[in-house]
Amino acid sequence: MTMTWKFLFCGVALLLFQLVLGQNDSMVQLNEVVVSDAKLQKFSNAQQIRVLNDSVLQKNRGSFTNLLLFNSPIYFKENGAGMVSSPSFRGTTAQQTAVIWNGININSQLNGQTDFNTINAADFNSIGIRSGGGSVLYGSGAVGGSIHLTNLLAFNAKTKHQLRANYGSFNSLGLNYGLEGGSEKWAYQASSSRNSSDNDYEYIGRKQKNENGNFYNQSLNFSSGYKINENNFLKFYSHWFDSERYFSGTITVLSKNKYQDFNSRNMLEWVNFNNRLTTKVKLAYLTESYRYFENKDADFYTFGKVKTFLGRYETSYKITEKKEILAVFEVSRNDGEGSDILPKKRTIGSGSIIWKHQLTDKFDYELGVRNEISDRYESPLLFSAGTRLNVTDFYTIKLNASKNYRIPTYNDLYWQGSGNPDLKPEHAIQAEIGQEFNYQNTKLSFIGFYSKLRDMLRWIPNSSGLWQPQNTDKVTIYGLEAVLENKLNFGNHHFALNASYAYTISKRDDLEKQLIYVPIHKANGSVSYSYQKLTAYFQTLLNGEVFTSSDNFYRLDSYNYSNIGADYDFGKTTTYRLGFQVLNLENTNYQNVASRPMPGRHFQVYLTLNL
Amino acid sequence: MNFKKLLLLALTAGLFFTSCSDDDDAIINLPLGDYENGVLILNQGNFGGGNSSISYLSDDFGVFQNNAFAVVNPTVTLGDTGQDIGFYQDKAFVVLNLSNSIQVINRYTLEHITTFSTGLNNPRYIAFANGKGYVTNWGDGGNEEDDYIAVLNLTNYTISTTIPVTEGPERIIEKNGNLYVAHQGGFGYGETVSVISSASNTVTAAIPVGDVPNSLFIENNTLYVLAGGKPSWTNDETIGTLTKINLTNNTVISTFDFEDAEHPSNLVEESGQLYYTIDSAVYKASLTATSLPSTPLFSTTAQGVYGVYSFAVENNKIYVGDAVDYNSNGKVYVYSLTGDLLQQETVGVIPAGFYFND
Repeated sequence: MTMTWKFLFCGVALLLFQLVLGQNDSMVQLNEVVVSDAKLQKFSNAQQIRVLNDSVLQKNRGSFTNLLLFNSPIYFKENGAGMVSSPSFRGTTAQQTAVIWNGININSQLNGQTDFNTINAADFNSIGIRSGGGSVLYGSGAVGGSIHLTNLLAFNAKTKHQLRANYGSFNSLGLNYGLEGGSEKWAYQASSSRNSSDNDYEYIGRKQKNENGNFYNQSLNFSSGYKINENNFLKFYSHWFDSERYFSGTITVLSKNKYQDFNSRNMLEWVNFNNRLTTKVKLAYLTESYRYFENKDADFYTFGKVKTFLGRYETSYKITEKKEILAVFEVSRNDGEGSDILPKKRTIGSGSIIWKHQLTDKFDYELGVRNEISDRYESPLLFSAGTRLNVTDFYTIKLNASKNYRIPTYNDLYWQGSGNPDLKPEHAIQAEIGQEFNYQNTKLSFIGFYSKLRDMLRWIPNSSGLWQPQNTDKVTIYGLEAVLENKLNFGNHHFALNASYAYTISKRDDLEKQLIYVPIHKANGSVSYSYQKLTAYFQTLLNGEVFTSSDNFYRLDSYNYSNIGADYDFGKTTTYRLGFQVLNLENTNYQNVASRPMPGRHFQVYLTLNL
Repeated sequence: MNFKKLLLLALTAGLFFTSCSDDDDAIINLPLGDYENGVLILNQGNFGGGNSSISYLSDDFGVFQNNAFAVVNPTVTLGDTGQDIGFYQDKAFVVLNLSNSIQVINRYTLEHITTFSTGLNNPRYIAFANGKGYVTNWGDGGNEEDDYIAVLNLTNYTISTTIPVTEGPERIIEKNGNLYVAHQGGFGYGETVSVISSASNTVTAAIPVGDVPNSLFIENNTLYVLAGGKPSWTNDETIGTLTKINLTNNTVISTFDFEDAEHPSNLVEESGQLYYTIDSAVYKASLTATSLPSTPLFSTTAQGVYGVYSFAVENNKIYVGDAVDYNSNGKVYVYSLTGDLLQQETVGVIPAGFYFND
């Protein structure tokens, strides 16, 4: 019963908030482009954000994992090429990276993570990487950082068609068709993607192929906005994803598994600009489901599915030009069932308030707090505090600290025979210091981070051999990221250089050993050169050794491989771009997950038609 | 053991099953050449990690070697999830569960002879009768109807026939040309022992025992079957039982019940005594005892053993395998019959069984 009261309290607080803030009148400038997740930029001044632009997205097609591997400090553990891909962001676990679709968290309710091979980057026209804690804004899982998939809508835009295709080794095919346009009243965008691959590459140095690794996925994406009047907008987002993967075997195991995913996301959003007050109401319905066939040739499968209803209310108020306050209230209800989990419903309500203040031209700060209530577990009070100091016009210091969390998943809580309904959320207190140097077209940043994770979940066997998750581990993480972005122009010759390096120590306090599958060193770099209509580029990745056992006795070697490619723009008014890439140029024989060799040198051609 | 049911979680989240193959730190010794007069320790390795291994400890503890198979056969990978080793004449048959294969090796030199996999599906344990091998197979884990015993031709290493059995055939032993198969239950919970005639390759009897029979032996024409009972998380917890069966007519002689919430495992026999474990404790009783012991012989908690994973008693010594955290290297402890620690070794990942090569 106390639950009901708490929800009621939330509602009343929300109403009061609107009454108090709804009284000021003055014009707010409207942009042509309505940014879906404006708070990503607005309330993250003290953190590192990188938005990947279209030219970057063009170079890593098909695999979202590869896109992020080469363009961020995030490490991925990929269970064989194209198979389940789990991130580790700043030394955290896969469940501690949140994926945010048009402003809402879409991590799986079943296993808590997003499988990055179930996302087609081509479906989104903005992909942002936000490093560090973000649970106050984005909820569960935003511990190591968050990935933002956004469909930006433009009014008054010309109708554009784009067809992208790529074809390469192992019969890998990628197709994407996108359409966008708009009028004064309407903005719309639609895309459809399909990727498939036989994925039957040779294991270098072995008389073996990657068997049973073929896959396909396809997605449909639709977003539209309607301008009711100058102050009111309606937006609708819809995303459908479907995939079937045969889970590949290992050096010593012939696999016969098959796995199917089906996810849908639909959201209606109303945005109201009332002078200094901006209000957004989002209503979303999300579904996720999987089917696992132990034997691909048999009819028998296990499954899990969760339906989520989500309501989110955000209101921001500009008290003065320098002061702004944002409040977010969210209620979500999950309804899960499956062959291995107990059918359960759960309801989670949360409220966040964030304050932002520009004290001087050179100094601003942000403060945030979030409280969550659930009918299943107790959540900690979360906070965030950050500041940005522009010391000189080329030197900026960013400081922030926050407490973040990730909730136990359906699998953790309700897996039949193993789930532990008494689990608490994992939580982390963290801090970071960032320094940014900007000089002309060069940006160099150094970020030091530190975090203490508590109540970390781990599946452990008890004395009678029962495996169960427990809030058992304490982990301390610290490290350094260095990021360099540089552009050079000599007449018609344009160079762009990006490089990042991450040093990450992530240790369980009891063992004093590095967490498994967290590399201490990861570096990536890319350089691209363009001259008129020709672009050539080179990307390289160094993945340090990872430990595969908690005693750090077993390890996988570090590896380095590169991609090289070039493309050329044909046509005068409209662009036909044709390109060619060599991936794993060095034919490096490497394993990202033990016993699962990755592809050697392979090739791809790609084509983009803009109409 | 609900370990296997969590396979899907491992594949889709990589939560806890971890794995290793490129073992730079392994001390590569020269082959010993003679792995007789000692125990082969089969290390299961990580599920999906392809790192099963064999360790060797001589009877006098003078010689110990990890990765013995890899040392002898540097170009052959043993496989994934080593489950059992059976000796037949001068050969050893290593059953690899996830690889769905059996490695045939020379039991004294560990030299690789051949690998076969056709006809195996989720193989578990092996026994020999009438010049043939008998391998228990779960079939697809989710399918209750496809479990079978594969009959192995020991001349050309092919499966000559299969014998359908009820769900979850696990340990298998031979006596007088008959095979006795404990139906631990696979993904479910079994409650019988099947009797198979090696002359006809048919199931001739099903003997009811307690829930989840996990270990068995035969002595004096009597079959002893230890059933662990259903664990508490099934919401249908049942007690463990020890059943004695007269093999002349396959009838139950007597049944001993364990206390509530006690789930025994690892039943073995040595010199007229039976031994078993409950969690970290080792128990001992006479074969002719009329009741179960109320106190353990000794506990392994001093060594930090958290649930005895594998167990054997041989030559007046008690061998205990500790899986530690199931992804780090495991431990083997050897005790005297009174529980004094005689020897300890760090072995491969998840020591699953002891095979005395005398």
